[in-house]
Amino acid sequence: MQKVETISSERSAKFFRAILDNIGWLILVVCIIVFSSTIDGYSSAQNYINIIHHSVFIGILAIAECFCLISGKIDLSIESIAAFSAIFSAWLCGTSTFASGYLVNPFVGLLIVIIAGTLIGLFNALLIVKLRIDAFLVTLSTYLIFRGVATFVTGGKGVAGIPDSFRMIDTIRPANIPLVVILMFILYIIFQTILTNTKYGKHLFIIGGNESAAYNFGINVSKVIFITFVVSGALSAVSGWLIVARASGATPAIAQGYLFEVLAAVVIGGVSLQGGVGSLVGVFAGVLILGSIHTALNLLAISPFLTEIIRGLLVLVAILLDNIKKRFR
Amino acid sequence: MIYSDNKKVVLRAEHISKSFGSVQALKDVSFDIFDDEIVGLVGDNGAGKSTLIKILSGNFPPDEGSIFLEGHKVNFKSPIESRKMSIETVYQDLSLCENLDSISNLFIGREVCKNIIGFNMLQKRTMEKRTLETMAKIDINLPSVKERVEFLSGGQRQAVSLGRFVAWGQKMALLDEPTAALGVRETRKVLDLITKIREEKKISIILISHNLQQVFEVVDRIIVLRLGQVIGVRERRSTTADEIVSLITGAVFVNNKN
Repeated sequence: MQKVETISSERSAKFFRAILDNIGWLILVVCIIVFSSTIDGYSSAQNYINIIHHSVFIGILAIAECFCLISGKIDLSIESIAAFSAIFSAWLCGTSTFASGYLVNPFVGLLIVIIAGTLIGLFNALLIVKLRIDAFLVTLSTYLIFRGVATFVTGGKGVAGIPDSFRMIDTIRPANIPLVVILMFILYIIFQTILTNTKYGKHLFIIGGNESAAYNFGINVSKVIFITFVVSGALSAVSGWLIVARASGATPAIAQGYLFEVLAAVVIGGVSLQGGVGSLVGVFAGVLILGSIHTALNLLAISPFLTEIIRGLLVLVAILLDNIKKRFR
Repeated sequence: MIYSDNKKVVLRAEHISKSFGSVQALKDVSFDIFDDEIVGLVGDNGAGKSTLIKILSGNFPPDEGSIFLEGHKVNFKSPIESRKMSIETVYQDLSLCENLDSISNLFIGREVCKNIIGFNMLQKRTMEKRTLETMAKIDINLPSVKERVEFLSGGQRQAVSLGRFVAWGQKMALLDEPTAALGVRETRKVLDLITKIREEKKISIILISHNLQQVFEVVDRIIVLRLGQVIGVRERRSTTADEIVSLITGAVFVNNKN
């Protein structure tokens, strides 16, 4: 077997690969520079903290989606599990007309929706693993079902009257940094460590890269997929609960469109839609890019109806990036 | 333990049959593999070699027949069971994860971990060291064991795949076309490596290859499959390439030695 000589074309290929792998951070820097120079009040510490604060919901959902995608599967139901959890939490804890009236403690509510999210994730996993149905199809169904459940349960109305103890979660700022931002940082650190330093994380990459090799070498593929989708459900539930703290209530349309933002964020962040590639470091950049663009649009008072178009364009950019990377390999 | 002619039988296959729908891939296949020997498994395309290997490595069970490993009957329900019984398989398609590095590929399914607060934390340095040792044994120069396998050349990838055999092979190894994609020099290295490892570990090896010249170089015995049946078993020393070819193709062998 010959010694490999690194010829200059191979070295430049490595260079381009490195750029493409970290393109998320590059784009983020470009965005910040552009927005800071064209929008008043953009480049302030307060604004940057606001950007991250607004990104928390997408950020947490993105962790779940990143794990699913790396294993070669996709979870389309994250948005609906979040929406369902939001409505459910509001219904449990709220005081308005359409709330349950049980006035459940917000943290008990959190526990309840996490269990609910876990069960929905379990349902997804069962169909994917035991019945061997494509993850896309299974989670597409749950995406539709649970969006429907959220609407049905409240009869299409919203729930409000969230107690202060709940709203506080979003407003509290230890050391002037929002608690939820700290929470998001902690979650990213924990999950990135799991991804890169645990056996489970390694198995995610193996299954996403070559599922038959995973099987040949004795990896319990079913168990890994089960864990992934159950955790995805739980994280989506947490995200939904946090949305209620911010919005002080929930309507059936809550979290609408989050799925596409998450997909845009993870793909810009370097996660391959084919599986086997991805890192939460890149995803964090992707999430921040989306947050920066949102904030810029807000500050420029762009019509909210334009948001859908821009979101779609972002997803398109993300898909094109994924395609370019594939060609480069 | 089964003995035959005073030799230890590491693997005994008895009346193995396997069909896929209306195609009978293997019919009444029986053979012994002895301790510390290399057996060449040859046959034309469609003879059943890969099917036999897949059965021995636990990918699927035979329709009929039994397999005995060191005298004990085994019923592999999955590849991990054959691996647990110290059968190491190197697949024809290499079974590599292109998106991961050589270290990860070498340690697939047997990652070295330490349990820290309930999580299996990878011991990366240990695995890197072991990978470097294994690659050094194979005498291959990899740009880096941390480089993604998809960026390695065909010969390097074959080396990584064989690395599993070098690092983990114990009782029995099944090598399915280990030199298929290699050039002359690389093939030479692989054949030398197989011989070296066999001497070192006293491991039994079944080697599938289309290249009879290679087979004749390293094996002790040859099992010939044709259309799913064992058509002949020969000692390497007492046969010739011509005889083997005729067994493979079914042509009549004319012994011109007289």
